[in-house]
This record gives sequence, structure tokens and C-alpha cells, in this order.
Amino acid sequence: MTNPRCKTWEHHLSRRHLLGAAAGATLGAAGLGGLLHPAVAGELKQKRKQVLFIWIDGGMSQLESWDPKPNTRFGGPFRAISTSVPGIQLSELLPQTARQMHHLAVVRSLHTQDNSHSAGVARIQRGDPKDRGVTYPYFGSAVARLLGPGNSGLPPYVWVKPGSGGFKHQDAGFLGPQYGALAFGDGQPPENLVKRNAVSDQDLEDRDRLRRSLNQRYAVGRPPRNSEANDYVFDVAQTLMQRRDLFDMESITARERDRYGRNDLGRDMLLGRRMLEAGVTFVKVNSYGWDTHGDNFNGHASLMPKFDQAFAAVIEDLHQRGMLDDVLVIAMSEFGRTPRINGHVGRDHWPEAWSLAMAGCGIQKGLVIGKTNDTGTFVDSEEHDIGHLFHTWFRALGIDPVKTEYNNDGQPLPIAHDDCHVIQEALI
Amino acid sequence: MMLDPQELGVVETDRQVHAARCSPCGQYLFAGGFEGEVRRWDLDGEDSPELQPLAGHHGWVQGLAFHPTEKRLFTADSWGELRCWDYAADEPAPCWIQESAHDGWIRCLAVSPDGKLVASCGRDRRVRNWSTVDGKPQYEYTGHEHDVYNLTFSPDGKFLVSGDDRGVVKKWNVLTAECESEFDASSLYAYHRIQDVGGVRVLALDAAGKTLAVGGGKPSRGGTVQAVPTVLLFDFATGELQHTLELGKPQDCYVHDLVLRPDNLVIAVTSGTPGNGQIIFQRPTDEEPLFRSNKLANCHSIALHPDGRRFVVVATNKGSNGNGRRLDADGNYIGNSSPLHWFELT
Repeated sequence: MTNPRCKTWEHHLSRRHLLGAAAGATLGAAGLGGLLHPAVAGELKQKRKQVLFIWIDGGMSQLESWDPKPNTRFGGPFRAISTSVPGIQLSELLPQTARQMHHLAVVRSLHTQDNSHSAGVARIQRGDPKDRGVTYPYFGSAVARLLGPGNSGLPPYVWVKPGSGGFKHQDAGFLGPQYGALAFGDGQPPENLVKRNAVSDQDLEDRDRLRRSLNQRYAVGRPPRNSEANDYVFDVAQTLMQRRDLFDMESITARERDRYGRNDLGRDMLLGRRMLEAGVTFVKVNSYGWDTHGDNFNGHASLMPKFDQAFAAVIEDLHQRGMLDDVLVIAMSEFGRTPRINGHVGRDHWPEAWSLAMAGCGIQKGLVIGKTNDTGTFVDSEEHDIGHLFHTWFRALGIDPVKTEYNNDGQPLPIAHDDCHVIQEALI
Repeated sequence: MMLDPQELGVVETDRQVHAARCSPCGQYLFAGGFEGEVRRWDLDGEDSPELQPLAGHHGWVQGLAFHPTEKRLFTADSWGELRCWDYAADEPAPCWIQESAHDGWIRCLAVSPDGKLVASCGRDRRVRNWSTVDGKPQYEYTGHEHDVYNLTFSPDGKFLVSGDDRGVVKKWNVLTAECESEFDASSLYAYHRIQDVGGVRVLALDAAGKTLAVGGGKPSRGGTVQAVPTVLLFDFATGELQHTLELGKPQDCYVHDLVLRPDNLVIAVTSGTPGNGQIIFQRPTDEEPLFRSNKLANCHSIALHPDGRRFVVVATNKGSNGNGRRLDADGNYIGNSSPLHWFELT
């Protein structure tokens, strides 16, 4: 029977499965999407690692952010400003971030393979591995699988974004839907999270018992992960019912909300920080609207201050709370933007030479990695593809990106592109 | 009648420029560039040769304004610097420099009709007046809460009008620095996702000081901006919106520059998604333009020559956009340029 109030996202995941997988690889190694290297989860238990992944959808301009080329042909109107690290400059559109530069590592040598949004977003977030006939997981799903959910009872991979929420199982690729993202749209929890007054606790318990019974009957003779995923969704929902406070923005002081900015990105970054504090393993915070083919400079003059405010605030807060050493923070897009300024005073897609910023867990502080030439058109040092970053991020999280492999139903698969390697200078 | 402007020729440039303006003496054309330079052409010379540029600015030079009677040009850049030049000198040097006229991007300059003041506005939300003689600060006009895009003086010199990125247009008393009234151009602004889109791209008053034209676009989205290019015509005395001219489709985006002629004709240029540019002549009371050309790509500026017959349009080369790598035969990265199209009114 189909419950008309049942949402799509409610048909996946198994908390037991996830908890089991995190506790080890023993269960995982036997199952789909398991790990061939059994020691990973045990090692990671020593210190809880988390990730804040800030996705600037559409393509932030590297020239108006991390790699300014002021007073050059393609440099645009903005100045470069000094930062808290002598010798390192950022765009004047990042004044607050500049004061946090001593926490950051900026990579200016990104050289990736795809200049389209439709393919590029997935290609970057899946780490662009070699084609082995399988769909790799997004970084969030990979980390959810490799680090597990911890003890919070909250899902290991949440996605805070403008617009609609729900369960995004597609992110998980061959790992299976249980490692997808639970998306909170517009800073809101999933619909119908609050129990209606007409439903008593006893009613709720009875209904849950019935549901489990039906689910067990359904599971007979079927692959276990479907029913386990279904169970897991309800488990997560019950946990979220206990943690509705996470979404209560009224409980946050006006001053704190002002610090992050009274806009979608500020709201979502603040919620992302609260999710990390609550113990979520991987939090993706999403901002849309950065595809500035037209009016790029006025566009970035409006967009960048909102990013700057929210990003600097979360870096500062994670540091002040003593979390930054254990939270890997990454801010990036699917590509950069062309140095060439088109007739619409915009910049188009440019994967040839662009930048990202990262901080925290395992990452060196206060440095720039790689460089572009004087006009910013191409990388003028070793080029780094997204595979290099995946290697680096896994290593920063304490996961050996060479020895650790996925077990896709008996098929061993590397967790990062096998022709790429760790960027050593980025790591502590 | 001038309903069918004839193109006289094109001056090719090897770089992109912003606004172009003809000197009041009619001999020179100036254009501000993307690399801190002000380019200069001798219109009296054969084939209008390019002369030594005015060098020394940084970033983008978007502000250009002439003294009404003396051969002085005022220029401003996106790093906040304001300069005054003897523009006809063989080797031009600044008469004076205000290094920090604004904190960052100066968007526009205007000179008072009596030639005593040069006004500036910028991304720092400030509107200021400077002495044209020595560049000393005179007045500051406080009240804009956002990036101030454009400004102009009234023909009698009593008022300064400024417009910002939210479509707020303020009418200032020049000498008291009081805001006497506002014009509502908020239809030229939209908030899309987390982007402020649109704003007042150009302001112009007719010679009689009766009609204020506010140009921009009615935005429907940010990112790859879409907006219907629009000119709002206000009664300057009362602030009443008298006419709204919608001059294209969403892909045509913004009116970047316009001229309001004494005969009430609006001459506007638009720049939209790459390849889309228009030159439009329209009377406020007409449904359709008297003249429309979309042959040029991305028109950013229009300058009338003092002879009243010629005008120049700053456009963009065709094929200015595209994702990914594009190199020339020598393997060099390809940039864009701004051809200057000369027309004559017949």
C-alpha cells in the first residue's frame, strides 16, 4: 500500500546499515559498496572528522575572488587587497575572508576537464574518476560511506540548499541509495516532521510497529538494502523529530544571523554550522545563481559580499569553537570563469585555470598552492585536476586514498582517480 | 530627417573600451578602457588616427566628462582615482589627481554647466563634488544606501541627479547637498536568488531641464542576466513618470547609454546576451521606434559629435563569448575588442 503522505526521499536508507558500515568495514566489506580496506573506520574513530562542502553553483569567477589579476587586460575593475598572511592577496570583494586567510589554503592551479554545467557538476563532485562503467558517488556520499554517521543519529550527508528539499539518492552512485543526501530546502526540515496533536505516542508506536512488520514481509526474497533503506528513513525522521531545534532560526540571536547575512546563503551557512555542531558528518551548503555570463562584475559585486560574509563567519566560528582542526572546509564551483570578457560584460565557463579555497582538518594554513600566468589565462605551475583534490581531501580526513578501495559487489574500485595524487604541500 | 543613419566607417580597436565621448571642440574622441588607459583619436586627421593615450589610471576607466569651455577632460577609474587632463596636449599629463576620490569603483562623472564642479559617484555609495580647478573636495551628498551607478547635472546647474543599483534616483540641491526629491525607478531592479540585478545604468536630462530619462532594464533573472531594456521618462519638476519605453526583449537587457535630444527624441543603445545590440531612436509618445538597428553586437556607449550630424557607437566584436579554450593561430588566448562605429544623420 502506498502512503499518500510518503515522500520520495522516504524510500531509501538504513540507519542500521549506515551505523554498521561506519563501525566497520566488516559488514561493509561483505555488502554492496563496502570497503576492501577494513581498518579505515576503526582508525577514523580515534578522532571524529567532518566536512563542510560549500558549493557555489554556476561558477564563481576566480578573478573576482581567489586569484585577482588587477589592472590587466582580463583583470576586471576590482582591486586586490592584502590578507592576514603577508604576501597573499585576494580580490577586494573578499575583505572579511581576507582576515581569515591565515586559516585558509587557496589552490590557484585547478585544471579540470569539463566546461558544461550539466556534466561538470557531477563530474567534479564525483571526483572525475576513470571510467569503469559505474557511477561513482558524490564526495558527500563517499565521505558518508567512509566516515559513517557518528553517534548523532542524524544522517551522515545533509545538503542545505535554497528551494526544494527531499532525499537525493542519485548522489550515492554505486554505493546505493542509503548514502544519498538528505536535503533541507530553504532551511526547513522535511515536511510533516511534527507529529500532529491528534496522533498519540501510542498511536505512533503502533503505526511504526505495523510499518516494520509490513516492511519485513516485503523484504522476504528481495535485496536487503531496499527495506533497510526504508527503515533507515523512518529512523532518521524520528531523530529529526527530536532535533527540530536545529531548524529553529528564531532561537538564534539577531546578531548571529546578521553576522552570516540575512540572505539564503547566510541562513544556510548558519544552519550548516549547526548541523556540524550536532554531529552530521558531511554538510553541503549550496548557493545558486553564479553563472554570470552577463553583467559579471556587477553580479559579483552583489554576490561576493554575501559569500564573503557567510564564509568568513563560519571559518571564524569553527575556529573559535575548536572545531576547525577536525572539520575540512571546502569552497568551490564546477569550474571558473573565462578571463575573456564577453560583449554582455560577462565571463563564460573556464575549467582551464581556476581556484578553490579550503581550510581545517589536515590542511595547511595560510598558503597559496599553484599559480596562473600574469593574465590569468592558464596555469603556470603544476596543474591540479579534481582527482588530485579528492586524493588530498581523503588524506586530510585520515583516509589513505591509495590503499582504500570500494567494493562494488566484488569489483574493487579506487576511491580517487588512480592517475592523480595527493597535493603534499596542501597537507599538514 | 535622421531616421536612417548611414554608417561612415569603423575604427577597430585591439582592446575593449567603455564609454566614448567627443570633446566639445569636436577634434577628439576619447574612450576609457579596461586596463587603466584613456584612448584618444584625432577626428580632424585623415582616417582619424589614434593619438598617445592618457596613461596612469588603474582598472577600468568608466568616468569621462569634459569641461564645457576649457580643453579639460576629467577621468575616473575603478580604483577610486579622479584625474584632470589638458586633453589636447601632444603628451598629455594630469593637471591634478585625486588619488582617493572614492573607495574603489568610480562609476560616473559629470561636470556642472558653469564648469566649476565635477561630480563623481561610485561603489562606495558616495556622491561627491570636486573643484574643477584643483580637484579639492566641495560637497558630499549622503543618502544612497547602495552602489551609485550614474549621475548628471540639471542644465541650470542647480541640481545633481544620481541613481543607484536599486533604482533609487535622488535629486540633490547642489549647494545645500539636500535631497529634494526622489524618482521611483525601482522597476529597473530585481532580486534574483541572492543577486541584486539591474539598477540605473544611465541618466540624462533634456536641454530645457524638463524631462529626466532613466535608462536600464527590467530584469527577470540574474546570472546570465535577462532584462527588457527600458527608459523611464519623468517630469523633472514633479517627479511624475510620464512615459515608459520598453525597447526590446529580455535578451536585449540593458540600455547602457542614451541621449535626450531637444526635439524629445530618445537615442539609446542596448547591450544584451552576447551578440545582441541595438541602436534605437524613439519618440516618447510613439509605440514603435522611428529607427532600430540590431546589426551591431553589444552596444555600450553612444556619443554625439558637436557638429550635430555624426555620432559614434561603441560596440563589441562578433563572437565575443564561448565556454572553454579558444586560441589564435599562434596559440595565444583570444580577447575581445570594441569597434567604434561612426554614423551620420541624413
